[in-house]
Amino acid sequence: MNQTDRPIANSIVVLREEFDDWAVLFNSDTADAVGTNPVGVAVWKLMNGKRSIEDIVSQIRKSFGDVPEAVSKEICTFVNTLADNGFVGLALESK
Amino acid sequence: MPQKLKDKTGPAVSRVMRTPRSVTVEITARCNLRCRYCYFFNNPVVEYRDLPADEWLKFFDELGSLGVMEVILAGGEPFIREDLRLLIDGIVRNRMRFAFLSNGGLISDETATFLAGTGRCDYVQVSVDGSCAEVHDSCRGKGSFDAAIRGIRTLQRHGVGVAVRATIHRSNVHDLENIAHFLLDELGLPDFGTNAAGYMGSCRGNADDVLLNIVERKEAMATLLRLAAKYDGRISANAGPLADGRMWHRMEEARTQNAPAFNNGGHLTACGCTYSKIAVRADGVIIPCSMLAHLELGRINHDSLAEIWNNSPVLNQLRNRHTIPLSGFEFCAGCSYIPYCTGNCPGLAYALTGIVDHPSPDACLRRFLKEGGTIE
Ligand code: SF4
Ligand code: SF4
Repeated sequence: MNQTDRPIANSIVVLREEFDDWAVLFNSDTADAVGTNPVGVAVWKLMNGKRSIEDIVSQIRKSFGDVPEAVSKEICTFVNTLADNGFVGLALESK
Repeated sequence: MPQKLKDKTGPAVSRVMRTPRSVTVEITARCNLRCRYCYFFNNPVVEYRDLPADEWLKFFDELGSLGVMEVILAGGEPFIREDLRLLIDGIVRNRMRFAFLSNGGLISDETATFLAGTGRCDYVQVSVDGSCAEVHDSCRGKGSFDAAIRGIRTLQRHGVGVAVRATIHRSNVHDLENIAHFLLDELGLPDFGTNAAGYMGSCRGNADDVLLNIVERKEAMATLLRLAAKYDGRISANAGPLADGRMWHRMEEARTQNAPAFNNGGHLTACGCTYSKIAVRADGVIIPCSMLAHLELGRINHDSLAEIWNNSPVLNQLRNRHTIPLSGFEFCAGCSYIPYCTGNCPGLAYALTGIVDHPSPDACLRRFLKEGGTIE
């Protein structure tokens, strides 16, 4: 089965929304944690394996005000960082 | 992610976590030992009974749904539970990690293999109070030293993280050098922690034999400060003579130099546990911390933990302790250390004074000096 370009959140990772806008993504298998802000949380929740990065970016643009041009690059970097740490994979093509 | 983006839903503005990060669960009221200074036993407010596994499993489901990251399994002696694997499965299933506070005496090869196999065990903390059986067993009972060391070696063999805590009391205060050598050089532990027996639980009945007097306290402080320097960062303390020694040196230096107040000085700021942690007694009663076992906040599977966490007046009062100035206490009247003092542990303050919102006399520098202590 081939991989798609649609990111999917690792189901073992726990999202903890903390105080002052911050959230933590916690991988209980590795004990790694990544801190993020509300945009990161929204991106995380959108990574269900059905949306491409472009879909996610456009959804974020709809949900947040004052979105700068660079947001698309920043979201890509964020998703890549999560993927490098095993927090995110790519969905497989369904038959 | 970029901080300049604005969330249309608006942020939370409290320093308190939205749910606890870590929950200490006294998983059993049973223990294979009866240590002379045990804080857990002989607390008149506690009902010493074990809950069935299904109660804990249901509670772990709740913790999982709240995004709790770690469960600390304590007791009593947690390895005494025959159904421990079932309980750990419940923790793992709910995407949490776990750790143990143990006397080490009941850890078998099978148990260690199981713990290692989960990949979720952060550490097992084992209490070691002496460099040999004679010293360790004086407070913990015959055979407990050999059993603890066997437990540590078993965990090491299976690659499970071991943390060691040495509790300092009258019978081991002269053995500290040997303890450090034994734990760090012979057992090869990366580090160990220290604290001191406190006036709680069983210790109240044995206080004269167990608690350090002023001369011993001075000796413990001086020795531990020297050993901590010698073993460079490998001996730690959140409480007890080493922690007091470090804090009191800073306070004395600041006072003699008339330095500005410490950031956290002048108020009851010492304890931040209630911002991220909570605990549950063996009988299922939710409490702020094992040291404040009388403050009953609710009961597992009857009361919502999220509701307690966010709205309990008792918890919120504890969280607001940091607003209470030391200058308002008669106990602190005229003390020149006020700008540098944090009032220390509310659990010990309660044990010694019967009042939670009070500085702990045990960690009071002025009292220590008045009784003949010195800061060298
Ligand atoms: S201090 Fe720990 S090991 Fe000792 S009796 Fe108490 S619970 Fe048991
Ligand atoms: S009297 Fe003791 S507790 Fe109070 S401020 Fe002074 S040193 Fe701290």
